[in-house]
Amino acid sequence: MALISTILALRKDARILKLPPYLSALCILVGVVWLLVLPLNEYSRNTYVSENALLPGQVHTYFTGSEHNIFRAYRHEVAALADKSVPDRNQRLSEILRSSNLKVATQKYSYATSGRNISNENVYAILQGPRADATEAIVLIAAWTNMDGEINHSGVALVLTLARYFKRWSLWSKDIIFLISGDSTSGPQAWVDAYHDSHSPDTIEPLSIKSGALQGAIAIDYPAGPWGHRYDKLHVVYDGVNGQLPNLDLFNTAVSVASGQMGIGCTLQRMWKHDDSYKERLQTMLRGMISQGLGHASGPHSSFIPYHVDAITLQTVGDGWHDEMSLGRTVESLFRSLNNLLEHLHQSFFFYLLLQANRFVSIGTYLPSAMLIAVNFSITSIALWVASGRAGKLPNPASTAPPSTPGEKSTSSPSKTTPMTLAEKDGALALIPTELLQTTERALFLPLAFVLATHFLGLLPLYIFNNTPSTYLSPVFNLVALLTSLLPFLTSFGLKQFSRPTAQETTLIQCFSLLLLGMFLAALATLNFSLSFLIGIATSPLTFVRRSNNKAISAVASLLLAVLNPVVVIRAATFFFGQDLVKVLVQAAEGWHVWGLWTQVVVWLVWWPAWFAGSVVASEGLFA
Amino acid sequence: MASDQHKALLFGAAAAVRLLLFTAFPSLPSLLAGRVEVSTPVTSFKRLQEGLFLYTHNVSPYDGGVYHQAPLLLPLFSLLPNPSYHPFATNLLYTMVDLLSAHALMQIADSGQAAVTRLFTSSRKELRWSSVAIAAGFLFNPFTVATCIARSTSALTNLFILTAMAKASQGALITFVLSMAMASYLAMHPVLLFPPLLILCYDVQATNMKAAPHAWRFAVTHLRRLSIALGALLYLSKLLTGSWDFLGATYGVRLLLPDLTPNVGLWWYFFTEMFDSFREFFLGVFWLHVASYMPGLTIRLRKQPLFVAATLTGIFAVFTPYPSIADAALYLSLVPLFRHLFPLMRYTFLASSSILYASFLGPVFYHLWIYAGSGNANFFYAITLVWSLGLSVIVGDSLYAALRDELDVERPELRGKEVKRI
Amino acid sequence: MLSSLAFLLVTALIACASASSDYYERLLLRPLPQSTVLASFNFRSNESADAFEHQNFRYFPRSLGQILQHARTKELHLRFSLGRWDAESWGQRPWNGAREGGTGVELWAWVEAQNEEEAFARWLTLTNALSGLFCASLNFIDATKTIRPVMTFQPEGHHANSSNLHLLHGTLPHEVVCTENLTPFLKLLPCKGKAGISSLLDGHKLFDASWQTMSIDVRPMCGPDGRDCALEMEQTVDMVLDVDRSKRPRDNPIPRPLPIEEIECDTTKGYNAGDTCYPLDKSAEPAWNLTEIFGRPLKGACPLTDETGEGSYPVCINTPPERTIEVNTTGQYEEAKLASDTVRCYKLPTGADFDLILPQQRMTTGLILASPQLFAARSINGHGQERGSVQAVIKNPSSTHAVEFVYLEALPWFMKPYLHTLRARVDTSRENPVKETYYRPAVDRKRGTHLELRMVIPPSSTLTLTYDFEKAILRYTEYPPDANRGFDVAPAVIRLINPQSVDNKGIYIRTTSLLLPLPTPDFSMPYNVIILTSTVMALGFGNIFNLLVRRFVGIDEVQTGDAGGLQGVIRGKLERLIAIFKRG
Repeated sequence: MALISTILALRKDARILKLPPYLSALCILVGVVWLLVLPLNEYSRNTYVSENALLPGQVHTYFTGSEHNIFRAYRHEVAALADKSVPDRNQRLSEILRSSNLKVATQKYSYATSGRNISNENVYAILQGPRADATEAIVLIAAWTNMDGEINHSGVALVLTLARYFKRWSLWSKDIIFLISGDSTSGPQAWVDAYHDSHSPDTIEPLSIKSGALQGAIAIDYPAGPWGHRYDKLHVVYDGVNGQLPNLDLFNTAVSVASGQMGIGCTLQRMWKHDDSYKERLQTMLRGMISQGLGHASGPHSSFIPYHVDAITLQTVGDGWHDEMSLGRTVESLFRSLNNLLEHLHQSFFFYLLLQANRFVSIGTYLPSAMLIAVNFSITSIALWVASGRAGKLPNPASTAPPSTPGEKSTSSPSKTTPMTLAEKDGALALIPTELLQTTERALFLPLAFVLATHFLGLLPLYIFNNTPSTYLSPVFNLVALLTSLLPFLTSFGLKQFSRPTAQETTLIQCFSLLLLGMFLAALATLNFSLSFLIGIATSPLTFVRRSNNKAISAVASLLLAVLNPVVVIRAATFFFGQDLVKVLVQAAEGWHVWGLWTQVVVWLVWWPAWFAGSVVASEGLFA
Repeated sequence: MASDQHKALLFGAAAAVRLLLFTAFPSLPSLLAGRVEVSTPVTSFKRLQEGLFLYTHNVSPYDGGVYHQAPLLLPLFSLLPNPSYHPFATNLLYTMVDLLSAHALMQIADSGQAAVTRLFTSSRKELRWSSVAIAAGFLFNPFTVATCIARSTSALTNLFILTAMAKASQGALITFVLSMAMASYLAMHPVLLFPPLLILCYDVQATNMKAAPHAWRFAVTHLRRLSIALGALLYLSKLLTGSWDFLGATYGVRLLLPDLTPNVGLWWYFFTEMFDSFREFFLGVFWLHVASYMPGLTIRLRKQPLFVAATLTGIFAVFTPYPSIADAALYLSLVPLFRHLFPLMRYTFLASSSILYASFLGPVFYHLWIYAGSGNANFFYAITLVWSLGLSVIVGDSLYAALRDELDVERPELRGKEVKRI
Repeated sequence: MLSSLAFLLVTALIACASASSDYYERLLLRPLPQSTVLASFNFRSNESADAFEHQNFRYFPRSLGQILQHARTKELHLRFSLGRWDAESWGQRPWNGAREGGTGVELWAWVEAQNEEEAFARWLTLTNALSGLFCASLNFIDATKTIRPVMTFQPEGHHANSSNLHLLHGTLPHEVVCTENLTPFLKLLPCKGKAGISSLLDGHKLFDASWQTMSIDVRPMCGPDGRDCALEMEQTVDMVLDVDRSKRPRDNPIPRPLPIEEIECDTTKGYNAGDTCYPLDKSAEPAWNLTEIFGRPLKGACPLTDETGEGSYPVCINTPPERTIEVNTTGQYEEAKLASDTVRCYKLPTGADFDLILPQQRMTTGLILASPQLFAARSINGHGQERGSVQAVIKNPSSTHAVEFVYLEALPWFMKPYLHTLRARVDTSRENPVKETYYRPAVDRKRGTHLELRMVIPPSSTLTLTYDFEKAILRYTEYPPDANRGFDVAPAVIRLINPQSVDNKGIYIRTTSLLLPLPTPDFSMPYNVIILTSTVMALGFGNIFNLLVRRFVGIDEVQTGDAGGLQGVIRGKLERLIAIFKRG
């Protein structure tokens, strides 16, 4: 307490009030630089497997020989199903699985998002481990179509072959579930929802047979046609929905098995070439951050991660000399490792940024960058709070005697305090001692109401974008863009007309909105670091916006902010990354309805209100 | 008269908001009832339902580890239709409870005991908010609303505590003693509020009737009355459940903390990590610590008993074994009574923003620990530390303000000057 | 129903043979679908009641007998089980499930005592003694794992005064059954696994089985007039062997891919080629013999079995008549055909190895498996470590008659069910299937939950039973070393009341056990927690009492320089520092 009172004593010092803008700028700068130095060797570490039970690559793999012939046969079978109807297809797949003495079941599901109707069927089989007592299970997934919509020929065939092969082993201490999902995103989602009984029973069929608690899931994406295709590298996809990541141990095991045991190179985040230079590392990290920030499902594995089931997708890329059997052996070895697990994966990191297949940055190292950016808002809001308490410092004549507040009651009359302050402070400050010491009462009602109202206003676009049919999305988007760009000016104009907000109230509006922003971003940084960081960067100018009576300055500020309008930023981003806007919006809506995606909630209830409040404050000068 | 209209308007709005939330989001009550921040093992509505079920099926609810709440709640709620099928009656009841609490709060505010007591008149007494505003601060406090929607029984405790304060500040002795007994019967620790409130009662009596009653006799008689009332309640419960088992299952649980379900307080993680051989010792120390505030405050702030009671509720919200946001809501709605102290408080922004941070980060970290599995227990524990720290800072700061206020009365020449504690 | 009838007939024979002889053993083999073989061993030894009282044990093992006498245990049932019985493909359970237990170890006994406390004390002595005898951690069955079922279990023996008999029941779902349990089990047998069918029991094969259970049942049996009572001890081992897997030699157990020549390909496929082969699943019954699948030969008869009567035919095999079975032995043996030739029994030679050889054979007729009366599955719904719900799905396949049964749940105390959320729904009818409920709620760290439901399922319908539960967080000393694996929840026991079983053993079905992940604290930081919490409390306490005990004075009345403002503070600190140095 003594320390706090010391700091509080400093509050009386005028110089403190001049600091915050520089302090905030420093925070932002350090935050960004911090992120940029992460790829250096000093700040990143080599990956390592910390769960002893996994023993990656310690077992000899036997998935060879005649299994290859059977695999080819199954691949032909799968190819023959390519143009069959869904029921016929699944019926045939069930036959094949049943022929290797597994328990087979199917699950129908259908989702309706943004005017479209996604309906398909999963087929899955359970291998009851001879050493298992139905308490734990691991999942092997092959979606019928992969993320790019190609049919996953070899992947499905490989799962069928492995099912037949695994059945012969007597060492499985966990059940193994072979899931062939209808598609890559909604199928696994429906299945895993139903597995945990958190599905909506009217559109999604419950699972007729179940096993124990899921310990891990591996998805195979190998869309090579009936005549096969030799690949060069394995692309390990690990992003979960809402930017949640699987345990690093699973990723490490996959990498060490593939590259260490099988000699297959591993790559991530679509970095087909990676010479481990600073630039490449940074690029990998940024790509990882963007896909984490968007939080969309990046593969069949993504839906499992929110249920605390660690999962990854192994995707074959490039032209090389590795064939399906090496992929099969990789999966075999990986499953042997998972089979060794005694506890649920918990040892290693859940928060990390990967720079390369075997180099990562842990949360302790990278979190400060996002936190600094969040903190800069808090600093500014505290400064604004203190400033709003200083009647005299505010140049606006309206604020010297705020009508709504009983200012003079707050502390004793200046006459008593002045001599004391003069005695204490040096001459330079003694010029305005009374104002320095005087703290006026604050009019909290209007600012609070305004900030709350803006946050609730964000619900409107959220609802609109999640429930508009895809055909209308693009015009709706433009309309929203237009409205949101105009709204601040209208609002500040309206405010001027009806309740002339005092300068203090304006300051408080900004103070509260920045306080909330800082708080949300700080909380978000622990859930989804990348999203918090990106939004923090995009909103950082709000820190420096002030209400000024100079029309020119206000105009410039308002224009600058208009560019930073979330809607505009989204538009620009889609343009920059060459994405189709409507597709992005449709996917976001699907995410909201199917995967429980929260990104747009953050955009509309955190980013947008903060921007709105900021630009209202900026544009108030225009109507002063 | 305007204030009545305001009051009617306010209560109507508050009731409307609650009933709307109840009906518009049918899954919200069970969701909130499941949140550890809102409902603790000793106040949870789901556990109450379980107790009711066992009670109505002639299984003793106290012969089990689930139900730890007062026996008299059972007949009360068994009169209502089953909440899982016809929730409306229960919702209405809880809405009424909140309105009554707000009413009591307004009575306290109207009595003006916050700023002006028999022995003490604040120099800033004209600085106060209207009772309607204070009631609004209670009714629209999100913590209060959450407690009401979660149908946690701590709402009832709060009601009786507030009623006790109101009656005390009006000098209505019998009702004061009864509600005091009820509050302590429901939650045990409110019994610590008795001395300050008794003093308050005494002062009010003394001001009303010119001749002050004899202090000791007054104290003894009301202590006896309280014990009689409590004994009656306990005996009634014994008749109801047929045995004294409920003592161990209700107050015993509060004392010995066998159920370590997380909450916003400081006890659960401490006793999760505590070595077995020291558990009893620290239980004793912690309870002693909670109890130790009462005498100190009562003696030092003899002149402002209502402030002592309010501060004690704040201390309960931090240092009791099973605190929830309901207790915080009670304290935070009592603080505005002391509007005249605000100018003297120093850490308002600091403390309130830390509480705000905690109330946002708490659920997030809990999610990371329990559902995402990516964070461990320390995340949530750290937030409970921040929360408790923020609340205790407010308590301490308001206490500083009150003492400073007294000082200004004693030594007017020091007004607005820097002071020092020696 | 031919074969199933035969199967029941065999068990009936065994049952009626009980009182006649003092020692009796039988192995019944029956091939099951998916190239598996069910082998159920059955050993029974009797001891007359007064001989038992006078402690002259002949066939009855002394070690166990003395334990029973010391713990006043009148009837004992002990089970060691591993794996799952796959009812969909294997049909009805052996002995109608009366001789199997849930995964892990299960023990229930009728103890003679005056009151509950005495009964529990004797129960503890019993569990401790047995844990020593069977090298199993039965001593971990404490008050929290012990229940007293009311409807689920009935005594099998004849008890004169059943008034002061107390039934206690305990399970250890996490116990891993292995060879160290088999060895003492064999020691109890008169022939100790040296001769007779018990010589087939080999740990490696037994615990490589897809499903196996060992049981010990001790019960008093009396004649029809209630006299000449005898104490009967029955030991059974049931296992389902995967033929392919158990035929692998022990030195090379790895299932390497077969050479392509040995796989029969589907040549009708268009793509069939030298490097492409669609495997055909074998329609023929696989070839196997005893020595292969049990890993050791059958070393002749146990001399203690009686020479005549059907007890003298210890090895029986239940196959269609057309299945060719060759006998390979140097000694002389006899074959007897029962139940219209679907059961063939063999009298073993003494002192010479005996082997049955079944060649690969395409069958035209197959055995019809008796379908079980109920199918039961149980799982945990929901995710997260805070709460969840248990869902039990029970199917009644019969299209004609309803089934009445008792459903027993014994849950650990840290899994707190909410009985008011218990819902039992039948898909075909509206009425509540629950007829009777017995519930004893758990008490923290004292006893577990005990729930028994008597329910009725209408024909050809499915019953879904769900209830919510909450997970308690434990003290950090109460977690096992593998805290993040979770805790095992004992299987639910289902006993059919109607239809009644033919013998007095009853019909039982057990679900699989559940894995219950609990929230875990950070085990590494008790000190940090204690320090931090204490710090926060000290801050609050110190701040408040600091205010309470001190007195305010004006800043200008004390001479600590001019405080306030940055320099003031710093200067004050400096002066204090200098003063300290001066003193020092």
